Amino acid sequence: MINLLFFGRLGDFAKQVPSTIEASTPAEIRQLLTAEFPDLARELDQPQVLVSVNKMIVGWDQPLFDGSEVAFLPPVTGG
Amino acid sequence: MTTRISIQQQDFDLAEEYQLLRQSDSAVGAVVTFSGLVRDFEVDPEVDPEVDSEVDSEVDSQDQSSTKSAIDLLSLQHYPGMTESLLEAIVEQANQRWNLIATTVIHRVGDLAPKDQIVLVGVASQHRAEAFEAAQFLMDYLKTQATFWKSVRRNGEQQWIESKASDQQAAARWDGSDNG
Repeated sequence: MINLLFFGRLGDFAKQVPSTIEASTPAEIRQLLTAEFPDLARELDQPQVLVSVNKMIVGWDQPLFDGSEVAFLPPVTGG
Repeated sequence: MTTRISIQQQDFDLAEEYQLLRQSDSAVGAVVTFSGLVRDFEVDPEVDPEVDSEVDSEVDSQDQSSTKSAIDLLSLQHYPGMTESLLEAIVEQANQRWNLIATTVIHRVGDLAPKDQIVLVGVASQHRAEAFEAAQFLMDYLKTQATFWKSVRRNGEQQWIESKASDQQAAARWDGSDNG
């Protein structure tokens, strides 16, 4: 199982999304969410949204393994 | 090189942090600190500033701040574990660019009120130029690379703050420059 995290505004769109999913890449996760959560999928399609696996920024085709933690990160606004 | 990085809910004491930087080494000749505070106004992204000039003249003059409205609360979210690593990497980059003696980065998370302190960046070095530059670099990179997200609550409604192009431009000025 892959653990999912959605930060910032993405969290508002992901309240009903299960916390785990079966997928082999972050791109596949986005694809799997499209049917049930079209608004979230549209947000994830924004080019500024980054994805991390186990707390490292990666590409959308990064291979995932059982227990991977995938986080979707909108543009940061700290400081 | 001493590094102090903290992500915390509680407030920090600027004088205390300054003393730590000042006392970190007898070679310290310059300490620069920056603290960022919660403003009581944040631009309301739902109000287009372009429209403001066309506002009907009958609108009460008190409404002239229609592009900005007072906030009740500012909340800061972060990604525990990842945010700390990113801050460490940012400080490491500063160390590679400048000859620094001690660096402090404190960032608060959770709910904050107007006038509260949000962030502290402090740099101790032998000379002022590197302390000034490194402090600016740290803030520019922190604002664009560290995984923090701000939201504000106004009139009971939560709104996420949008990232600013000006912050991206500020961070981009360090790209390719040789401050080594």
